[in-house]
Amino acid sequence: MKDILTPRERFGLLVIDEEQDRVPVFPLVTGHAARAAGAALRDYYTDGRVMARSQLAAQERYGTDFISLFSEVGLVAEALGSRYSYPEDDLPILEQPRWSSLSEVPAESALFDSAGRLNVYLDAASYAYEARGDTVPILAYVPAPFTTAQQLVDPEAFLLGLVEDAAGVWRVLELSTRAVVGFCRQLIRAGALPILVDPLASGSVISVEHYREFALPAEAEVIRYLHRYDLDVVLHICGDTTGLVGAMAESGADLLSIDRIGLDAAIAQVGDRLRIIGNMDTTALWLSTPVEIAAETARMVETGRRNPKGYVAATGCEVPLATPEENIRAFVKAAKEAGRNDNFAAGRKR
Amino acid sequence: MAIPASGLMTREWPDPVPARIGFEEWAELFETIPDELIQRFHYFPPNQEQWSLYLFPPQTFAIYGCRHLRRLKFDNSLAALRMWGFVQNETERLFRARQTGRHVVACMGDLGALPVIVNSFPGCVAFYPDCIWWTPFVMESQVLFDAAAEQGIPEATCFSRAALGAFAKHSYFPDPDLVIAATGASCDDYSGVEQLAARHAREMLWVESPLRRSCGGVEPPTVEFLVSEYRRVVERLERLTGHRLSEEELRRGVARANRVRQAVAQLRQLAYGAGVLPALEMMVIEFGNLHFYSDIGEWTAVVEHLLVTARARADAGQRVVAEDALRIVWVTPPADPLLLCYLEDRGGRVVGTEFVINQALAPIDETKPGLEAIACSFMAASLIGTSRQRAELVLRQASERNAEGVLISGILGGSHCAMEARLIADRVKAELDLPVLEFDVAKPGAEIDRQTRTRIDAFLELLRSRR
Repeated sequence: MKDILTPRERFGLLVIDEEQDRVPVFPLVTGHAARAAGAALRDYYTDGRVMARSQLAAQERYGTDFISLFSEVGLVAEALGSRYSYPEDDLPILEQPRWSSLSEVPAESALFDSAGRLNVYLDAASYAYEARGDTVPILAYVPAPFTTAQQLVDPEAFLLGLVEDAAGVWRVLELSTRAVVGFCRQLIRAGALPILVDPLASGSVISVEHYREFALPAEAEVIRYLHRYDLDVVLHICGDTTGLVGAMAESGADLLSIDRIGLDAAIAQVGDRLRIIGNMDTTALWLSTPVEIAAETARMVETGRRNPKGYVAATGCEVPLATPEENIRAFVKAAKEAGRNDNFAAGRKR
Repeated sequence: MAIPASGLMTREWPDPVPARIGFEEWAELFETIPDELIQRFHYFPPNQEQWSLYLFPPQTFAIYGCRHLRRLKFDNSLAALRMWGFVQNETERLFRARQTGRHVVACMGDLGALPVIVNSFPGCVAFYPDCIWWTPFVMESQVLFDAAAEQGIPEATCFSRAALGAFAKHSYFPDPDLVIAATGASCDDYSGVEQLAARHAREMLWVESPLRRSCGGVEPPTVEFLVSEYRRVVERLERLTGHRLSEEELRRGVARANRVRQAVAQLRQLAYGAGVLPALEMMVIEFGNLHFYSDIGEWTAVVEHLLVTARARADAGQRVVAEDALRIVWVTPPADPLLLCYLEDRGGRVVGTEFVINQALAPIDETKPGLEAIACSFMAASLIGTSRQRAELVLRQASERNAEGVLISGILGGSHCAMEARLIADRVKAELDLPVLEFDVAKPGAEIDRQTRTRIDAFLELLRSRR
């Protein structure tokens, strides 16, 4: 059945608490878009036009509801001085963090050493916006301050610092928060909606207490900035967030993107306040058959659409690079069918 | 309804030196606005919900698809920012109206009179789907035209067909509780849009707009007929709301509308006389007289804030358009707002308008019974008389403002535009010896088409040579 709404119209209704013609569908197709478009992965994350063209091609091919500009979480850290290598057919790899220990971090630091690959994202955002900004929301994933901080300082030293040197951690967090806000400012001007991703603040990496003490205040600071513009903010933390989801809601985010947590449990905890995005297991998406994926997706959507504040059918994390196309198509088709709202066109009653 | 205190605003965020600024400059400026100021302005006051905030910059609305905003120039005052934020979130406001238990009533075709009646009912919000005609241009998008085409309206029809697309989409405004559609001595393209929109309406009430025969004054039989039509509107609204409208409530409704009309009349004097506000903002302000952007209380505050700003500029001798700019009367609202910016960029300024909404600009006589007063004011309507009568409106403004030229922006496929433009142009040339430029506005796009730009440039050059 043909959609009534464009993805942008659909998202517009979701964020003002109105029913849509169907649930928005959002497999997190990021680097996989390069594969779908036949582009080299390194070109995807070093050339904004390639990133945009790949994303536009993937959005059209799979019929998803968002453009997903993203490659990896080192983006802001690189602009702040960390060094990355660029394998031809893989994502950037952290070669050398800017600092090897927290004690090296100065009290005050200049914001950006260089633009790094920030301009790649800005170019991609502008290009995608010009091409399809009237019909599809352009999402630009922005690594959150906590995740960025772990790319600026040797990760082991940083994680030890959570216990031994809170002041040192905060020095890095303040710098990365300023940088993330600055990058968001540029993305807003390019027409992209920043979505905050904080995978290294996951319950798989740190405790709930450390999340509350360090990651959450920095997320909240960025979200406060985005709310100055009345933007609807997505916070994505992948991995196990079972113990975190209540705290994540305190960040001020408007939509939570979740991964390895029961959808029912998330709805029970925050569904009265927040829209939920999630959370098909991406390993299953990669390795299952289309029939299995369709069945699992339908079950997920049936649960998700019970969320009082609204729901987006999504994968829990990024679609793996090698995921077969037919699997993504199976996910999208099943999510659209299970998420259809047959009462929409008939007119919504008071 | 509080008039904004300009002194308070000045302390918190002093307006910069008046100027027209671009998208990037507003982004820079917005960074300097304190959070407290953003938190102050809510629609549907005294409501204080976070969702009702609206002081947001063009960047916000660009992210949600209004791509044309990146190419426009805006007035740099706080009042103008407030106006843009308020106008741009009207879709959300209409949905919130429904969510908070208000009755949402769509008025179509008459452009100004029906909302005065609707807003007199407690808990009723009136809006014009007609105004969706700007949306394809603001979004640089064919989506609504494509949706209208699927409903049976082809490309060679007025841009107002976007309203039909919006009805079919159910996402630009909530499905109205009632649609009141004016037809008769009106735009026939839009009457076609109304007929097809009826398929999507829960309830449709048709109202006849009578033909005005004379060129001035009030025609008692016509007014009587209009009053009888408006009585049917009142009865239907009473059935919808379960509220019996008193004459006193109606008079208060008229007074509220008049308060806005009077403020806008003063703004027209200041802007078109002293050049204190740009033409684009003025078009938005004038069209606010139609339905007050779905919240008459807050829109009144916005307009009065603009008036405070305009007066302060006039008192200080500040302008946003050069004093020696070429003086133009603009006829028919340009569907593409970029045209107004372009005219000013190229050294022109608007000193008068005939945007087919004369009926919404005229004050309503508060000494008369409510419905009669509204009917009498509607007799000034641009579209219910002859082209000769409409030309009089143009001639009067051109004379008063010492205009140097008249520009008529037509609508491809809009039948009255094609018929009327030449008749108006001939009278302007014959009676005032002024050059007239006529062109049809091209379909939505990222920029003004080259032919139109060249024609505007040549027209301004001609006017310059006549000085």
